[in-house]
Amino acid sequence: MKIIVCVKRVPKTAEADLFIEKEGKDIKKDNLVFALNDWDGYAIREAVRIRENYGGEVFALTVGPEDSKEVLTRCLAMGADRALRIEEPPAFDALLIAKILARAIQDHPFDLILTGVQTEDDGWGQVGVALAQLLGIPHASIVNRIEIENGKAKVKRELEGGLEELLEVKLPALFTIQTGINEPKYVSLAAILEAEEKEMREIGLEELGLTSEEPLYAILDQVSFPAAGKMAEILKGTPEEVVTQLSEIIKKKKG
Amino acid sequence: MKIDPKTFTRDYNLHVCIQCGTCTGGCPVKFRSPLNMRRLVRQTYFAPDPSLFRRPEWWACTTCSTCTLRCPAGVKNVELILGVRNYLANQGEVPSTIRDALENTLLHGNPWGRFRDRRIDWAKDLEIKIIGEETAENLLFIGCAPSYDPRVQSLSIALFKIFQKAGLDFGILGKKESCCGNEIRRMGEQALFRKLSMDNTNLIKKTRVKRIITISPHCYNAFKNEYPDLDLPVHHYTQVLIELIEAGRIKLTGRSETLLTYQDPCFLGKQNGIFEEPRKILRSIPGVTLIEMERSRERSLCCEGGGGRMWTEGFTEGTRNAEIRVREALHLKAKILATSCPFCLLTLEDAVKTSGLADQMVVKDIGELVGEAIDSNSNNPIPCPPAGRLQIIINDPMTLFKTNYLVD
Repeated sequence: MKIIVCVKRVPKTAEADLFIEKEGKDIKKDNLVFALNDWDGYAIREAVRIRENYGGEVFALTVGPEDSKEVLTRCLAMGADRALRIEEPPAFDALLIAKILARAIQDHPFDLILTGVQTEDDGWGQVGVALAQLLGIPHASIVNRIEIENGKAKVKRELEGGLEELLEVKLPALFTIQTGINEPKYVSLAAILEAEEKEMREIGLEELGLTSEEPLYAILDQVSFPAAGKMAEILKGTPEEVVTQLSEIIKKKKG
Repeated sequence: MKIDPKTFTRDYNLHVCIQCGTCTGGCPVKFRSPLNMRRLVRQTYFAPDPSLFRRPEWWACTTCSTCTLRCPAGVKNVELILGVRNYLANQGEVPSTIRDALENTLLHGNPWGRFRDRRIDWAKDLEIKIIGEETAENLLFIGCAPSYDPRVQSLSIALFKIFQKAGLDFGILGKKESCCGNEIRRMGEQALFRKLSMDNTNLIKKTRVKRIITISPHCYNAFKNEYPDLDLPVHHYTQVLIELIEAGRIKLTGRSETLLTYQDPCFLGKQNGIFEEPRKILRSIPGVTLIEMERSRERSLCCEGGGGRMWTEGFTEGTRNAEIRVREALHLKAKILATSCPFCLLTLEDAVKTSGLADQMVVKDIGELVGEAIDSNSNNPIPCPPAGRLQIIINDPMTLFKTNYLVD
């Protein structure tokens, strides 16, 4: 099984104070820490798990700036065999990223491509399915289980309301991986340091026959915070006073 | 970097074990888990097999070190636990909560994964020196729990006020401070511990401070015993407080008569021999009567907050040691259970709440008690529980002995 996994380095924003840059096109990132996109970590672990059972190799790919090498090193520490970083264009949309990945993948034989369902930062959820379309291979999204059998994959998709859909998909195919499909292992610092010895290549867009001015179908206009709503009423006072006020409100609303 | 179970016997002196069982006899979690140190030492000696290491009980150990300190033959029991955990961490096979704590530490510099920029939020209203921007003689190393945990932040603030009042020249590292790594090493991540120790050592050495003062006994232990290149005097804050009290640089004012007992933190007491300083401080607070629990000093019962247990779920069952400890303190009719460690503070306070004793006893850190005793505006700073209700709980003192906590 030759498995390709597409990953992304993303800023961790859960607890951070976010500020918007002057141009209003992005958030300020200089005080943020970056890590491997959560969904992609599950995808890498799943690829390594499949390789452990069926043999083959795991190839990790990213489109991103120089710093993205650190998440590729993490992928190598998690068990990927080799990695490739492709230069990031100055502006991009989901389709352009898919196009870049498709060009990079076309020279590499594969049985399976895995991506995360979406990324923690942009959250488009489109790159995986667009890539499958460009490569002309079947795909399944939000996959939470994979079994390989005679050149086919039996996959489960997570649907709304707790439903699951079972599909049989002919390989080669692309699946976008949902969190929880496996239990990611701890990646020790020793493993990360060792992984720095593994093969990692870097290429530019020209090598893929692309320029830095490819046409975009979606153009980012503005990043902003949602307008603050007016529905919330903050009760003030000591805990006793707040409880009294709250119980009055509940009584009034006949709760 | 590689860890090889075949060398465990040599690395941890397993061959000298005489199977006397002293280790198991003193273990504070032996009734709460299948952890049996005597058996694990023997089994590792005969067959250091990975299947043995995958038993969950290896994660129950709090690394309190009672076993190692009492072993008459010189087996390095706790180091064996750390060796096994290191082996498992390198295989990626650690419990998921430990995995998150370790990954958080690499990414954010603290096991809780809190944002680095928030590390000194507790000090935002204080005029505190940031060493690096300014110079100071003493570095107050805050540590992760006193930086981020709202309960422990009050200890950081208390120590700031005490040191400021005493005219001590001190500062903090600010946002650049990273986890000391003591617990990281105990969760099995020796490589990450080395990285943290190098990062902190380089940062501290650049500042030209003359002394490091720690809040947590865990940081104290790491700096004093496990940082290879620090070469600076390290003091726990209790050592500094008694120095200031004895020099007359801080004056402790009276309070209402209070019966108080003291929990020796394992990393301060039994592992580093600091028993007297905390007691001297407590005795110097006017109005406070210090009474000792039956098991104190070297025999103090571990609160189970060490060894990565702050970030571990499960592996033990039954009554928590902290709950047993709280009942021991209550049996003495103590109104305050004092300690000098952020983890003890958290585990004991939790135990007071889960035991339904919040109206009968308060858990306080020595730093907080001293902070309140130097604050002349505060007449009766500690909300002592009302007298008279104690008897309801201990009307049958023998109930204390029905639990299986007597480990000595």
